[in-house]
Amino acid sequence: MSADLPEPSQPQRPRFTARGVWRGSVEIAPIAAFVLPFGIAFGVAASAKGISPDMSVFMSVAIFAGASQFAALDLWYAPLPLATLALTVLAVNARHILLGAALAPWLLQVPIVRRLAALLFLSDANFAYAMSARDRGETDAGILFGSGLTMWLIWIVGTAIGALAGSLLGDLSRFGFDVVMVAYFAAVIVGQWKGRSDLFPWIAAAAVAVAGTYVLPPGWHIIAGALAGGIAGVWRHG
Amino acid sequence: MVDAIATISAVLLLAAVTMATRVGGVWIMSYVAITPRIEAFLKYMSVSVLISIVVPTTWTAQPRIWLAVGTAALVMIATRSALGAMLAGTALAAFARGVGL
Repeated sequence: MSADLPEPSQPQRPRFTARGVWRGSVEIAPIAAFVLPFGIAFGVAASAKGISPDMSVFMSVAIFAGASQFAALDLWYAPLPLATLALTVLAVNARHILLGAALAPWLLQVPIVRRLAALLFLSDANFAYAMSARDRGETDAGILFGSGLTMWLIWIVGTAIGALAGSLLGDLSRFGFDVVMVAYFAAVIVGQWKGRSDLFPWIAAAAVAVAGTYVLPPGWHIIAGALAGGIAGVWRHG
Repeated sequence: MVDAIATISAVLLLAAVTMATRVGGVWIMSYVAITPRIEAFLKYMSVSVLISIVVPTTWTAQPRIWLAVGTAALVMIATRSALGAMLAGTALAAFARGVGL
């Protein structure tokens, strides 16, 4: 996507620069644009729960994790069940812990303040983007912060539109927006294919994740599948 | 209705929980020696997170989602462009909805 990537032949130390932040924020924009309808959907759903527009926007600013925000809405009644809310949000967002761990060999080599900045807006989509950027030889952790920042801003704008005017827009899934992320993730997965030795860990991840949707509480199948794929990969390759 | 103070407190609590999940993984790994074995585990785990999101979602979805995911995968193989693949998959899903799939 960008002409100024580091040469793959000259491996560079992980770093975090303003150029990386800019590159990440621009390169993710075409994907992040499709976060807008999801933000709108959240704003609409929050309004339907009687949450005022300023509080809906505040949720998106402070939490910025779509699936968990929708899950929280299901529990939004007075008096707020704080413990249940916290546990539900923890369960839905627990996969962030795995995303962060996967980034650790990279991020532990940048200074701690910049490391925290790179993690501040961590989400599935900017993780997927960073993963494919890493494959192209990207070493600048600033792309995580930049790409997350773009997604955060669009999520906030979408929430505001949805909370204020969403009921005028109708069902946005008619445009196919509901498949954007799953199609993007599928493409990133395919791009990670390195050869037949990947087959067994990938099937292990898929099988455990699918089985998990039947036997585990909502959200945990992602954790189970991810761990199964990691373990299968190590088991096969020592 | 939930009052404003309760809402703000609850949102801050949920934001703190979410932020803990974002920094928690790197924090835990800062105490673990990253051997080649651990690195291989993390590498397979990272693609497996996405597999665990995509496969069950697609499995239980309507045929237009299967078409969109299949198209995205094929376009990725052909072009190596994740963005192009995403756009092709989305366009096909919109088309499939248009024709009633």
